[in-house]
Amino acid sequence: MAPVIAVSGLVKTFGTSRALDGLDLEVAPGEVHGFLGPNGAGKSTTIRVLLGLLRADAGSVRLLGGDPWHDAVALHRRLAYVPGDVTLWPGLTGGEAIDLLGRLQGGLDPARRAELLERFDLDPRKRARTYSKGNRQKVALVAALASDAELFVLDEPTSGLDPLMEAAFQDEVRALRDQGRTVLLSSHVLAEAEHLCDRLTIVRRGRTVQSGTLAQMRHLTRTSVTVETARPVPGLADLPGVHDLRTEDGRLHVDVDTSALDDVVRQLAGSGVRSLVSAPPTLEELFLRHYGDDVPAEPALAVR
Amino acid sequence: MRAPGTSLAGTGTLVRFALRRDRVRLPVWVAVGAGLVATQSVSSQALYDSPQDLAAYAASVGANAATIALSGPPVGLDTVAGAVAFEISSFVVVLTALMAASTTGRHTRADEEAGRTELVRAARVGRHAPLAAAVVVSAAACLAVALAIGVAATATGLPAGGSFLLGASVGAAGLVFTGVTAVAVQVGASARAAQGAVLTVLGAAFVLRALGDVEGSWVSWASPIGWAQATHPYSGDRVLPLVLCLLATAVLLGISVVLLDRRDLGSGLLAARPGPASAPRSLRSPLGLAVRLQRGALAGWTAGLALLGLALGGLAGSVETLFADNPEARAFLPDAASVVDAYLATALSMVALLSGAHAASAVLRARAEEAAGRAEPVLATATGRVAWLAAHAAVALAGASLLLLVAGAALGTVRALATGDPAELGRLLGATTAYLPAVWVLAGLAVALSGLLPRPAATLAWAAVAYVTVMAFFAGSLDWPGWVDDASPLAWTPLVPVDDAAAVPLAVLTAVAAGLLGAGLAGFRRRDLVAG
Repeated sequence: MAPVIAVSGLVKTFGTSRALDGLDLEVAPGEVHGFLGPNGAGKSTTIRVLLGLLRADAGSVRLLGGDPWHDAVALHRRLAYVPGDVTLWPGLTGGEAIDLLGRLQGGLDPARRAELLERFDLDPRKRARTYSKGNRQKVALVAALASDAELFVLDEPTSGLDPLMEAAFQDEVRALRDQGRTVLLSSHVLAEAEHLCDRLTIVRRGRTVQSGTLAQMRHLTRTSVTVETARPVPGLADLPGVHDLRTEDGRLHVDVDTSALDDVVRQLAGSGVRSLVSAPPTLEELFLRHYGDDVPAEPALAVR
Repeated sequence: MRAPGTSLAGTGTLVRFALRRDRVRLPVWVAVGAGLVATQSVSSQALYDSPQDLAAYAASVGANAATIALSGPPVGLDTVAGAVAFEISSFVVVLTALMAASTTGRHTRADEEAGRTELVRAARVGRHAPLAAAVVVSAAACLAVALAIGVAATATGLPAGGSFLLGASVGAAGLVFTGVTAVAVQVGASARAAQGAVLTVLGAAFVLRALGDVEGSWVSWASPIGWAQATHPYSGDRVLPLVLCLLATAVLLGISVVLLDRRDLGSGLLAARPGPASAPRSLRSPLGLAVRLQRGALAGWTAGLALLGLALGGLAGSVETLFADNPEARAFLPDAASVVDAYLATALSMVALLSGAHAASAVLRARAEEAAGRAEPVLATATGRVAWLAAHAAVALAGASLLLLVAGAALGTVRALATGDPAELGRLLGATTAYLPAVWVLAGLAVALSGLLPRPAATLAWAAVAYVTVMAFFAGSLDWPGWVDDASPLAWTPLVPVDDAAAVPLAVLTAVAAGLLGAGLAGFRRRDLVAG
């Protein structure tokens, strides 16, 4: 099947700064595709090019089989968009904004609208000027999710939502996938993408650094463990799936593949654990560790 | 209850902070107020430089209800200084009231809604401190206006005592509106609602004053603007009305403190009414959205221009007597057989300029939507670029045309009643239509700038409006080369009703407007969306 989104060699410059520098992105029909990168990597710029809001300087961009710049209106009938930073009309109520955006997109399902308002616990009778960031985001989400689009373009849609609402959002995205719809989900939170996405594209400084399924990128999902023990931990370095073992100030730092977590915990248990901190690696850490050398970069970011 | 000392903790710091935030806007308000008085003083002294001129002036305006309704009680017209106070005091009083209202509102409820007060109050700052600081800053600004007007009037040659009394009257009215705003921000459901309530009070005060002054009755005393003008600077020199202003301010501030203690941070005593849960049928297209966004401003402008049309029409009666014996004043108007028609042509140009200013601001609304990021979600729907910008342009063009025609109809109606000739309405309404193409050119220019040069569009569009204004009123008196004036669309507009409405220049202007509109739409279709 032809890809829903096919971007190759995309370049976009603003004045002297090169926001996109040969970016590639391919999204297959029916998949939830994570679009990951640190802030400023070019995710929102790519999305704006995909929506025909910005014009590409070079490279080829195809969306739903059309040209997003020339066929904008026809293509937009088939997609729904949630911006990263939702700004609404201060004098319109949330409900009015939802109806307006829904109607302009081509109509929305009233029953579904009511269900989503309930689901996201949003009061549609309040003026937008009184909404918090999270509530403004909910307005855009309800308008998008109540539409009958083939493609959903969601730009960091959960950045203002609390954990409960994030769970509701994730359920909705899974429901979309079950209906065979395509989702492009940009995020700078790896954990969110891990939960939802079939495939990922990771970008940095306007370039694609890696693209593939989660399994192919398993090494990205190591947990970093910091532990303080009464006695030294024997044989930890020899376990499969244990990486970058090092000791600092009497604390042991180690990066562990998800599959090896159980073995590592077992090994630690006999050593008198005094404190234990485990955290998924942040995207920034991953970039520094895995891609720091790839980017012929400014001196400030040169690693090691 | 805590001691008042604690509830005011931090006021001094907040005052300094507010003065820093307002370091540009307050001096501008003060300078505009003093500048208006100085300009009026200089021009009146030049116009009424002989006792005969002054007597003619006093006889004509002193009996004209429209002038009195606009200006104030016709007292002290036997001196030039008194005439200056009569002509300018109502404008500067309203200006100062607006300054006080916006300053007080800005540092109270508006800050609360932006979430800044919460941050500030979490520090060692008392409950009453933000209100106290806002009132202190507003009062200081009123005092500055008072002194600046006194200095400006004295420096331009008016008697010092009356000048400073005039300043004090204006400042005292500002204090009353500081108090009115302090109460309104406690009550209103939102900062906007509070601001609306203050404007309503100001409007009511102006109407009561106008009624009272026209009838010469006590009704003026029901209005704080009436109190400010009851000091009669340069003639009666009464101080008692100032005491009345101060008393009223004290009472209002007392009420505001009591109300402040009874409400929560961020909400007024009146609860915000929930709005509609779903959009009306009209809100389904870019045009529906543009109408919705612009209708409030358009309603305000329409009311304002209708009133202006009535006032300008009412003044026409005095024109003949006023200008008959005063060649200096006559020089301001175009040459014409009928001095009234010359005046009416000038009045229509003025109305056209204001309509053009509205057209520019309405078009720039689209650019503001884009800059604020609100165009993005709309253009990501099945809404085309051209349809979106054209919707805003259509609302701007239709709205500005409506304004011009409403003002022309108001002016024509007053003239028809005054002359007893119903045909005047048709004649003046017809004359008004001749100014439409010039207004369209200003709208078209704003569209072209928004489409082609988005970042400087607002600055350039307003510069164009300012240029056309200067050319319309001062081109004759400025000794500039002809081509400087020739770029103004009003320079190409025949001065109807003095001249005949010539079809060719009007057709050319319309074509220019259409060309600019097309260029703007085409430009917007080709460029990136530009936020910020």
